[in-house]
Amino acid sequence: MEKSTENNKNQNFLKEGLKGDISTHHKEYLGTTIPKDYFAQSKLSILDKIKEEARVEEDSKKQNVFYLQPQFKYIAAATLVFILSLTVWLQNSNNSNLEIETNFEEFTFSDDVLINSLLIEDLEIDAFAEATLFNEVVVKAELTEQKIDNLILNSLIVEDSLLDNYIDDELLETIIL
Amino acid sequence: MSKDAELVKKLKNPALKDKAFSELLNVYQERLYWHIRKIVGTHENADDVLQNTFIRIYKSIANFKEKSSLHTWMYRIAYNESIRFLDKNKKRSYQNIETVSDTSLQVLFEDEYFDGDEIQKKLNTIIDGFKEKQKRVFQMKYFDDLSFRQISEVLDVSESTLKSTYYAAVKIIEQKIFL
Repeated sequence: MEKSTENNKNQNFLKEGLKGDISTHHKEYLGTTIPKDYFAQSKLSILDKIKEEARVEEDSKKQNVFYLQPQFKYIAAATLVFILSLTVWLQNSNNSNLEIETNFEEFTFSDDVLINSLLIEDLEIDAFAEATLFNEVVVKAELTEQKIDNLILNSLIVEDSLLDNYIDDELLETIIL
Repeated sequence: MSKDAELVKKLKNPALKDKAFSELLNVYQERLYWHIRKIVGTHENADDVLQNTFIRIYKSIANFKEKSSLHTWMYRIAYNESIRFLDKNKKRSYQNIETVSDTSLQVLFEDEYFDGDEIQKKLNTIIDGFKEKQKRVFQMKYFDDLSFRQISEVLDVSESTLKSTYYAAVKIIEQKIFL
């Protein structure tokens, strides 16, 4: 009797398929359970995640639209060219200012003169100014002029010496040949 | 028009999509959860995969060509997501030497949401001993109540092969369960 009951149990074990509640069916056969109100909470969590994903996707789309617009590319390229040319121009203008400053330095009064000017009495200031002007400006200008002349002369001498060398060589070649 | 076809139409309409998606969750969330749970084992894993599955469904519903039923299409997504999850976990477990020895059955029996008696543990053990395809066929037919046609669309196997595989599995269980 006991054996026949077991046989029936054996034969009927998988006879009943899914009837009604799927969670009960799983619990009954596999022993798997779920937390209380799981599906309600999970639904909310899924909907929240989808909203978040949609928002992130929208943000990235907006970013793509900005980058994909051709006018933005042209604006970006033009800005880059402008910045580059501005940098080059500023660098050049800085260099020329430096040269001008260097040149001016030669024509400014030395500190000694300026200090002396404070110690001179009012009556003698005209004579002092004249002398200073002569010493500081005219003499300096003449010295600069001399420097330039020397440079030109040197270059001429060098050129002449090269020419002499060349003539000598030519002469030697002509004589030997 | 069937209920599913109507739902698909609403899901493809941007103005009705969110409401229709909520409806879709009411109808399929529980079924897909159990389908996933049997593949990935624990409740925590199933919860993760279920979320990923529905996010994928939401994102790709516009590309659903309706060559199969909505039901089958969603089961296939859930199945692929579960397999992807297992593969990812397998790679991770190779890096972590402590988890290598854990079989899926051990993990299931230790899960907080497993309350099985001896017979239920035995059934789980017998099913776990099946080859991968046989296991899935039996689970989809017996627990998910899918038709052979639907299973053949999800697993891409002919209906006749599925039938013989399923009945062979049933026979094995009936022979072993009360031994």
